[in-house]
Amino acid sequence: MRILIVEDDHSLGEAFRVGLRQQGFETDWVRDGIAAAHALKTEPYSAVVLDLGLPRLEGLELLRRLRAAGNKVPVVIVTARDPIEDRVRGLDTGADDYIVKPVDLQELAARLRALARRAHGEADPVLRMGDLSLEPAAHRVTFRGQTVELQAREFALLQELMVNAGRVLSREQLERRLYAWGEEVASNAVEVHIHHLRRKLAPHLIRTVRGVGYLMPRDAHD
Amino acid sequence: MTEASPVRRGSLRRRLLVTLIGTVAVIWLATAGVSYLDARHRVNELLDAHLAQSAALLVAQTGQELEEIDTEHAPLLHKYGRRVAFQVWEHGEALRLHSVNAPSHRLSSREDGFSDTTVDGKSWRVFSSWDGDHHYLIQVAERASTRERIAADIGRNLLVPLLIAVPLLGLLVWLSVVRGTRPLLTLGQAVERRDPLDVAPLDIGGAPSEIAPLVASLNSLFGRIATLIEHERRFTADAAHELRTPIAALRAQAQVALAAASDSERRRALDLVLSGCDRIAHLVSQLLTLARLEPVQSARQSGNCELRAVAKEVVAELAPAALAKNVDIELDTVPSAMIAGEPALLAVLLRNLIDNAVRYSPDNTLVRVTLDARDGFFVLAVTDQGSGVSPDLRSRLGERFFRIVGSDAPGSGLGLSIVRRIAELHGASVQFAEGSGGKGLRVTVTFPATPQARSSGKPSAS
Repeated sequence: MRILIVEDDHSLGEAFRVGLRQQGFETDWVRDGIAAAHALKTEPYSAVVLDLGLPRLEGLELLRRLRAAGNKVPVVIVTARDPIEDRVRGLDTGADDYIVKPVDLQELAARLRALARRAHGEADPVLRMGDLSLEPAAHRVTFRGQTVELQAREFALLQELMVNAGRVLSREQLERRLYAWGEEVASNAVEVHIHHLRRKLAPHLIRTVRGVGYLMPRDAHD
Repeated sequence: MTEASPVRRGSLRRRLLVTLIGTVAVIWLATAGVSYLDARHRVNELLDAHLAQSAALLVAQTGQELEEIDTEHAPLLHKYGRRVAFQVWEHGEALRLHSVNAPSHRLSSREDGFSDTTVDGKSWRVFSSWDGDHHYLIQVAERASTRERIAADIGRNLLVPLLIAVPLLGLLVWLSVVRGTRPLLTLGQAVERRDPLDVAPLDIGGAPSEIAPLVASLNSLFGRIATLIEHERRFTADAAHELRTPIAALRAQAQVALAAASDSERRRALDLVLSGCDRIAHLVSQLLTLARLEPVQSARQSGNCELRAVAKEVVAELAPAALAKNVDIELDTVPSAMIAGEPALLAVLLRNLIDNAVRYSPDNTLVRVTLDARDGFFVLAVTDQGSGVSPDLRSRLGERFFRIVGSDAPGSGLGLSIVRRIAELHGASVQFAEGSGGKGLRVTVTFPATPQARSSGKPSAS
């Protein structure tokens, strides 16, 4: 899951960027509202962590524009402003959650997972597909009753395919959901991870649509 | 407020009562005294005239009828008759005629006009006169006690109403004083009942014109307190808000360190925890500085101070840190700059200015600190070669917690607020402009020179 962090404070932004990555997210960090608006237009984020007091474009105004443009990405406001009126205004402007600083990184990660889950219409914190289940919070995958050891990137790839089960995702789409800005992506990285997943699970779980991309069928039972 | 005060305070009511009743009583008594004296004088005159008239009557009668008057049977015709007596002496020696109550010897040794005598232990007022032939001496007398009794009656008539009226008057005065001072008491109670934080204006409907100014000044005081409380409240809220983000960063960095997979990752997070602590410590100390400066009225009474020495000291203190950042500091000053002020505060001002300049200076640039004399003022300027501040944002510099957005340099957003406050305490003004060649920021603080420094001609027009 790729998260956009919008925070103008250097130290806190850095902590969110690294801390959420430790929690299994891919993170991009921007420090003002305009940069955030650009990033949200071009990149597929699973959720946004939004500070309110932002340079160039206020957090609430950014949120208003985002919702007016029909963007449904889950947004968690993380701010120092704690009066009730501010919380109400934040949520009513279109935020999905409102947290007053300081915030616990694990709690923030859990809230982001919950919001991402809900965004896909799911309530169950465990993604299930026949004999395959994936627990984002525990970073655990089991297949046919056995725990399967996956690398972080393989796990993220499997999660994206499961969340979007039944839809074909292009290699480029997958790359943009798996890699934050500035990360080195080898041209065949996705192919390599798909190959590993097929080997560790079962070959037929992930289908290749030649010339288009990859897909996990909804009825991928054996 | 209700505790017994060691100082005895006069009651306004009592003072009014005593003054009013006392004054009325004294004036009344004085009037009564004057009336009494005047009445007694007139009664004396009148009675003397009667005495003289009676003597004249006797003189007129002595000529023809004296032989026929029975000396023993002069009748008493009035109840006061006993108090009035007469004697007729032939040649002043033989008593030929007298009233029943007259003594047998002369009433007065005087033979002409009025005299006061005592005969047989009784005081008499006597009028003596010779008849036309100087044959008979007529003496008419009246008991002095009669006159005293009349005078006493007059006096009593004057005093009795006073004795009745004064208590009545006292009651009336008391009532009107109580009524008149009630608005004061109401005001006192209204102030006393007040919650310490209640600063709404007092509403004493229809306060008399004497109390209205007091109510007005109390209300203006409440207004000023309200501003102060609001100021405090906003300051506290701002401070709490400003502390939240660095504390959030600290907490998040600590969690990052705990969850770090590698030593280098942990090390980096812990470094950030440390610098976060420094940042919070800096913010707190800046907040405290500002809070301590808040109640200070002026720093100009604390004596004279050599601004040049302060500048040298602060530049020397901050130079190592600046050089470590690859920023040069240069001090260029007049030989002497005496101003009225507190060296410790001026050092805080300079430290903040230079610290700011160094903070926003790129590598290999220069921070210039200059101290000039100009028309009775000393002009302290700190100029950096950083990216500067756009003119529309310059007016906001010095607002509490205002920071230029997007600047990476850590800061509390309070430095220039502190500079402004300290300048204000020294009667100095702060201006922001661009640095030389349109680059960077120049902060200028203009201090008035001390009169001595001005007269010694050091800060001459240059």
